[in-house]
Amino acid sequence: MPDDRLLEGKVALITGAASGQGRAASVRFAEHGAQIAVVDMNDNGAAETVGLVEQAGSKAVAIHADVSRRADVDAMVAATVEAFSQLDVLYNNAALQMSGRLVDTTEEEWDITIATNLSAIFWACRAAMPHLLDGGGSIINTASVLGLIGSEGYAAYGAAKAGLVALTRQIATEHGPAVRANVIAPGSIDTPRFRKVVAEMPDGDDFLNGLLGNIPLHRLGTADDVSGIALFLASDLSAYTSGAVIPADGGLAALR
Amino acid sequence: MTVVSSRLLGETAVVTGGASGLGEAIAARFASEGARVVVADVDETGARRVADDLVADGAAAEAATVDVTREEEVARLFEGVAKEHGGLDALVCSAAVEVRAPLVETTDEDWQRILDVNLKGPFLCLKHGIPLMTGNGGGSCVLMGSTLGSIGSPNYAAYCASKGALVNLAKQAAIEHALDGVRVNVVSPTATEAGLFLKMAEASGDPEGIKRFVAERTPMGRLGRVDDVTEAALYLASDASSYVSGTVIPLDGGLAARRMGP
Repeated sequence: MPDDRLLEGKVALITGAASGQGRAASVRFAEHGAQIAVVDMNDNGAAETVGLVEQAGSKAVAIHADVSRRADVDAMVAATVEAFSQLDVLYNNAALQMSGRLVDTTEEEWDITIATNLSAIFWACRAAMPHLLDGGGSIINTASVLGLIGSEGYAAYGAAKAGLVALTRQIATEHGPAVRANVIAPGSIDTPRFRKVVAEMPDGDDFLNGLLGNIPLHRLGTADDVSGIALFLASDLSAYTSGAVIPADGGLAALR
Repeated sequence: MTVVSSRLLGETAVVTGGASGLGEAIAARFASEGARVVVADVDETGARRVADDLVADGAAAEAATVDVTREEEVARLFEGVAKEHGGLDALVCSAAVEVRAPLVETTDEDWQRILDVNLKGPFLCLKHGIPLMTGNGGGSCVLMGSTLGSIGSPNYAAYCASKGALVNLAKQAAIEHALDGVRVNVVSPTATEAGLFLKMAEASGDPEGIKRFVAERTPMGRLGRVDDVTEAALYLASDASSYVSGTVIPLDGGLAARRMGP
């Protein structure tokens, strides 16, 4: 009998779930039986994701939160538990994209990048931990290949994502055996935002071809490439995996 | 403090957290190699004491008061260095704080304070210090990391996050300024007989027991010595490491050999 419903009876909170990787994971988790707390600042997008989850045969609630605000983070966890009476999977997917060379990065840019991409996840883990400890749980944190390597123009973003990797390892050591905590480190994922950035480059086609040439799998990643890893980490298939960093990067990390 | 050799002769160095612990030791070591050392610390009295002692011993040193979490203060520090010394050759970011607490008991204030001092502080110092190096033929930045930036450890959520992030910040800065002749590296001590570990051990009921416990878990069977850290910082600040940038040097008695990765 194959494990075709990997998250039956589970409740997952997914931030940044109004689009992209967060939406893809919401639908995929729902197909595997999970009920979803769809958290985002974008209410329309969140409502659409709720509809997609329902089409997939499960239940979801949309929760409005700006994760850079501590009070919103506490409230999103409370609202999830109120709606579903439990929380099994915390998937911290929301992030603020921020680029800029170190000497050009303003204090405000630094603070908001660290708050959204690092402190928010600390707050969320702290708020969710009592519920996750109650019966066991899985934390999935979305870092980035840029949290594993240095790359020009990502001072604050790279630091925040590397801090998130370290925080996740720390949580894994502190909250095993009940809670597992792991990192997904996406590389270049084909999103509308990524396409827009490339389109605005003067030599966008050359950049894209150069990039693809450096990726062993010779293509960009998709939201479902990432959601597959998330499904693995959310489910008992990864029951002995904690503190791990799994790149979703087409093999790029092997070159580093 | 006699100048014992001249590996940093005539160079200007800023050491944050220079009023105590490893920062103080690095300041003294750099001064002994002929550097003019700016002992920077939020502890004004301590910074002045360290600088005065160095000057009394015949070295070139001065004190500066700075809260590294405040950009205007960091900017003022480096403006002063530019004005007084015309440039900067070495920057050591040693100021750091730690609070031991389980993740779920870590307060917002402690989380923010640790990220601000240990991570934002070095960011601001790099931001305002590196331009003094690029206009001055290059330089070297040494950031104080920790073994806990590479591994997780219970009761150190905020500290682990801050030190893990710091490594990537160093790599980032190393790449961005490689062509400017500016190198950025991290020294990564484990428990050392100075600084935050010593403070933690002394504040506990059983400092010798804690030191022995940690030493026994270390392949070399001892804690780190202050000299282990100062010599590594000196190597990274000096031309001896001229092709080394974006790296982490673990000062951990072989502990890193027990785990994956650098």
